[in-house]
Amino acid sequence: MSNYVTVKNLTKKYGELCAVDNLSFSVTKGEIFGFLGPNGAGKSTTLSAITTLISYDKGEITINGLDVKKDRMEIKQLIGLVSQDIAVYEHLSALENVKFFASLYGLKGSNLANSAKEALEFVGLSDKHNMKPKQMSGGMRRRLNIACGIAHAPQLIVMDEPTVGVDTQSREHILGAIKTLRDRGATVIYTSHYMQEVEEICDRIAIIDKGQMVACGNKAELVSLVTDVQSIFIETKLTNSAKMDEFKKKQKLMPDIKAISIEENTVRIDVSIEQNSISKIIEQFLILGLPIINIRSEVPNLDTMFLTLTGHELR
Amino acid sequence: MFQILIKEMKEFFREKTNLFFFLLFPVVLIFLLGNLLVSMDDAEETIGEIKMQYLIQTEDTYQIMAIEQFIGGIEDNKNIFVEKAENLLVAREMAGKDEITAVVVFTGEPLEINVYEGSDRIKNRTVGAIINGFVQMNRSIAAVINTNPSSLKEGVSTDETFIVQKDLGVNRTMLDYYAVSMVAMLCFMSIIQGAVAFVSERQDKTINRLFIAPQNRVLLFLQKILGIVPKVILQISVLMITSVVVFKAHYAATLMDNLYLFFMFLMVTLAMVSIGVVIGLLIKISPMAIIMPPLSLMMFFGGTYSKEIYIVGITDKMPNYQIQQAAFDLEIFGRSQMASSVILTSIIILIIMLAIGAFIFSKKEEER
Repeated sequence: MSNYVTVKNLTKKYGELCAVDNLSFSVTKGEIFGFLGPNGAGKSTTLSAITTLISYDKGEITINGLDVKKDRMEIKQLIGLVSQDIAVYEHLSALENVKFFASLYGLKGSNLANSAKEALEFVGLSDKHNMKPKQMSGGMRRRLNIACGIAHAPQLIVMDEPTVGVDTQSREHILGAIKTLRDRGATVIYTSHYMQEVEEICDRIAIIDKGQMVACGNKAELVSLVTDVQSIFIETKLTNSAKMDEFKKKQKLMPDIKAISIEENTVRIDVSIEQNSISKIIEQFLILGLPIINIRSEVPNLDTMFLTLTGHELR
Repeated sequence: MFQILIKEMKEFFREKTNLFFFLLFPVVLIFLLGNLLVSMDDAEETIGEIKMQYLIQTEDTYQIMAIEQFIGGIEDNKNIFVEKAENLLVAREMAGKDEITAVVVFTGEPLEINVYEGSDRIKNRTVGAIINGFVQMNRSIAAVINTNPSSLKEGVSTDETFIVQKDLGVNRTMLDYYAVSMVAMLCFMSIIQGAVAFVSERQDKTINRLFIAPQNRVLLFLQKILGIVPKVILQISVLMITSVVVFKAHYAATLMDNLYLFFMFLMVTLAMVSIGVVIGLLIKISPMAIIMPPLSLMMFFGGTYSKEIYIVGITDKMPNYQIQQAAFDLEIFGRSQMASSVILTSIIILIIMLAIGAFIFSKKEEER
């Protein structure tokens, strides 16, 4: 897969403060790229530089092979911005808002009308097209904000915390919509404070802190940076301790098992993530006649990863 | 090209505050101020009869002749009636009872004039003006006597008409004054419109959407300005037409002069809008807080609210006063020189401010 966005050695300073410090990463075409970091980490500054909203001191940003500094107009045509702030006109209806912003990208006539209608339909507001933003709920306003950013069918959609303060139903709708955009071929750069969201929808995740890249990759790659162990918890009936001893002996012969511990009827087995031998473990349980009542595995989540990598929590 | 213009118009008409401040409020002010003070006009028009009695107690022959000549000249037997008083005490009593307007006593050497008035303020003012006329004439003659007495003997004609009345075509009232001063006020209040146009984009965060749109920033800026133009044309038109049609105010006598007047107001308004735009691009707080205090002071000292307010050295320096003067010059005398100067100045301000505004707008980065 080719890189759609490439950021090389990006540096942006505000006076003495270095908001983004020599940051490099790339976003593949057609993926949802998550951008994680605490407040002041440099996420928004980076997104602003990508979307041509701010200039930067050093480095290079290319989108679809075009240079952000040299080919501004062409790049603007490719980008759709869904900002953290709801940026709509309060006195215009939902449809008028979407049509206005889409018209800035050269859409006209029936093309404009259809695009606006589709965008509203996409975010589930087609039946509210005559409603003004001030009459809408928070979630509906958020969805309108998205419609305004995507009506012109941008190839790169930059979403800066698009689900802040919305109800669960609207959040689910928004996350579903983002996945659909990806499936339609759009590249999405997505920031959020909600780790669960990022885990759920992002194909790859970049963690930045104090303007610098801490880690970047898919979830498995990020997990491997903080641990190589996956814990498997098997709930069984330990009526015969001899069987368990026998199990332990057999497991010692399996090199990918790091440790075994037993607490009441639950056996915890730490295995290497790379050589996942869960099927072999289950097989041994069945041979020894140990019933498996419940089984679950645990890997560090993004919260734990973030804490381990940066030394502090996300917020 | 016109999407911003249409958007601006929709926003303007859907915001009730705008409709009140920029359309209804100036019309209501014309009505209130004009009608409040038009009663003074009515009073002046219905002064009624002036009945004066006079008594000459001076023995200066020259003064006696001058007084009698003057009194003979002012008596028209229509509105002003003058007769000799037989008894000062009786005449004073009559004035006290408003049976006559006043008793005027010419006494002493040098001449002293005592006026015993009745209670009608307007009539008393008229008597004061008549007597003041006599005093001024007397001073003029004294000045001529002191410098060139022989000139009095030469070329004196009693048959000549010294006052030539020119009909300006309209019977002017206070409403005419407030019609002009309110349009001038509206022109200056347009600074707020210019500022709000950009401040509201920033407050709504929509300005960032404009910034990332593939549009030339300067053209985008000019489109925003263009979006304000129909609004200001509408405001000035509504105000001028309403004041003429509804309140019977008068502007200039001819259509061309009226069109020129309209053009002058339009140019001033656009200049003010452009100043507002620059302010709106620079400030981060409410434009009303920055603009209204100096604007209010300027309008107060510039005579927007009352023509009686005139402070030498301050009032005539106020821009709104100068614009009002230019408007009156065009309206009353049909002279367009001042209006042309105002138009030229406005165009210069407009061009400079638009250039500054376009530069600032094109260099602006993300608003957070």
